[in-house]
Amino acid sequence: MAEGRNSIIISIFSTSSGNGKTVTAINLAAGLANEGYAVCLVDLDLQFGDVTTYLKLNPKYTIIDAQMALERKDPNFDVLNYLTRYEHTDDKGNGVEFFVLARPTAIFDAYEIEVPIVEKIINSLKWFDFVVVDLNAAFSAVNLAVLDLSTIINYLGVVDFLPSVKNFKIGYDTLIRFEYEESKIRLVENRSNSQKLIRGHDVERLIGTKFFHQLPNDFRSVSQSVRDGVPLMFSAPDASLTKSFNDLAAEYTGKQKSETHIAEEEKKGFFAKLFSKFFG
Amino acid sequence: MVYKTIIVESNQRMSDILSATLKKSGDFEFLSAYSDANSALGQSHIYKPNLFLIDVDNPDLLQMLPAFVDIFPNANILATMSNWNADIAYKAQKAFITGCILKPFKAEEVIDTINLYNRRGKYAPSRIISFFSPKGRSGRTTLASLLALNLAERTNESVALIDADLQFGDLPIFFDLEPSHTVVDATHDIKLLTPILFAPYFHNIKKNLWILSSPERPEYAELVETSNFIEVVRMAGHVFRYLLIDLPAGFNPISLEVSNFADTNFVIAMINTGLEVDHMRRTMDMFRERRAKHKVDYPIFTRVNPCTEEEREKLELRLGYPVTAIFPNEYNLVSVANSGRILYGLPNDTKLMQIINQLSTKIISGEL
Repeated sequence: MAEGRNSIIISIFSTSSGNGKTVTAINLAAGLANEGYAVCLVDLDLQFGDVTTYLKLNPKYTIIDAQMALERKDPNFDVLNYLTRYEHTDDKGNGVEFFVLARPTAIFDAYEIEVPIVEKIINSLKWFDFVVVDLNAAFSAVNLAVLDLSTIINYLGVVDFLPSVKNFKIGYDTLIRFEYEESKIRLVENRSNSQKLIRGHDVERLIGTKFFHQLPNDFRSVSQSVRDGVPLMFSAPDASLTKSFNDLAAEYTGKQKSETHIAEEEKKGFFAKLFSKFFG
Repeated sequence: MVYKTIIVESNQRMSDILSATLKKSGDFEFLSAYSDANSALGQSHIYKPNLFLIDVDNPDLLQMLPAFVDIFPNANILATMSNWNADIAYKAQKAFITGCILKPFKAEEVIDTINLYNRRGKYAPSRIISFFSPKGRSGRTTLASLLALNLAERTNESVALIDADLQFGDLPIFFDLEPSHTVVDATHDIKLLTPILFAPYFHNIKKNLWILSSPERPEYAELVETSNFIEVVRMAGHVFRYLLIDLPAGFNPISLEVSNFADTNFVIAMINTGLEVDHMRRTMDMFRERRAKHKVDYPIFTRVNPCTEEEREKLELRLGYPVTAIFPNEYNLVSVANSGRILYGLPNDTKLMQIINQLSTKIISGEL
């Protein structure tokens, strides 16, 4: 379980892909790194993970190489050798740096990944203050093992479509049935202010718990960020989504949100109302 | 209708049991029994039979089924088996006979079986069409549902939608139903079933359209063994003429095996950030590596804007594989599926539905 290491492990989980898990994982990792923490982002969406594609990284090694080294009991094994460094500095000299453990390049290798090895690898990342893990959308053996290890589960949902709401609830109920502490599961609603027929408030009532955080919809900024291969803080520094990611990171570091920031959000109507409701 | 019946059975004792059963029923007129194909083929026409019960435990008789179909094109021909054998049943189906039945049987079971196969549609092996997507939220379930509705309406043959997305299947919510049986029950019981016993596991939602749902809890997916699921599909091929199987996202034992087993596999990705083309390429590469050479997978992109031939060609160029179809976004459809009204509120005059119709035409004609 979680004993014997100092890193805070934040897993990003959902019951459907296309919910923004990777965007959340990358921008949360960048936000935490921006506050000066040592951060490792692990892509455990083993078949179709997008972390390296998004960040335009060409990793020399991936998790499959780390697994092979552990399997052959390499005496010099050091997980740091299998990480890919991501860094970006903007024109004003503001920079961010974190590490990525990439998914296997070949889909077939994803099949070869062993649960005990994943546990060992995650536990060996104790050098980092934060380990952010991007999971895929299923209750698989690997995902459950990582959820067990996680300090926090960011359970992400886009609840704009009835089947998605159903799956969001089923996923949450399953996590509770699997005896994950409610305090460990943080519900994050993505695209909370997009045009939709289903209100976040109704979803909260259905699930029986409040959203911990709500991320606004900003498809344009996200697309720009993917095109540029950089976190939102560089491609869209003033976007409300960028600020919302900063706030999510601040929830895990204890950093105060600036008054200016809150005031800015308060001007923005619908989202600001939701925001103030949860963060006062 | 009285079934004027010929029994072709190599086991004399079984032949006596079957003929005795039929003689007791007013629905059958027992004409004659033969132990070999040549005698039956040479002599039966004298009686003008409209039903043959042919023993396919005997490989020689199994091989002669096409001759019976050829000489007696208007008669019902049931292959009789002591134990259900999916391989033999498939070979029998390929001979274009009516169907298969376990023996010994009750007289009413013969009638039920004939009725079931007649409801099924054309006497031919079923079309098995799977819907694969690298990631979720691709429009896979929507596409499978719309094609199923279209095929059921146009062919007047029976169509089944099977929800193989065992953890997060959405079919019940799309069709607003609470199924009494799920894939878990079907895979658990499959070794004890025959087509007649298996048919009630499917929920009838409209004329010619049935659904087999995924379980209500994600953890129940663990109870489904892939080999049993394939047996479910094979048995369903005797109850339905078209099987459309909604697979879980990504590669896993079920999605790999079922897409391999299907005669047609659509691979679906929704255009969002553009990274989806890479997912599709990696998926197609994986399939190309792993598949038998004759097997073709058909890529489809959804939410393509603008949804034009030029855009399809661009996607094809980026993908490096032929793109079978592209679909535009259809906001009305979201609202329809959201409210479980997919049976009644289809936006029929839209480009999306036109493309569904085109795909369906290709499936019916065998082009796909």
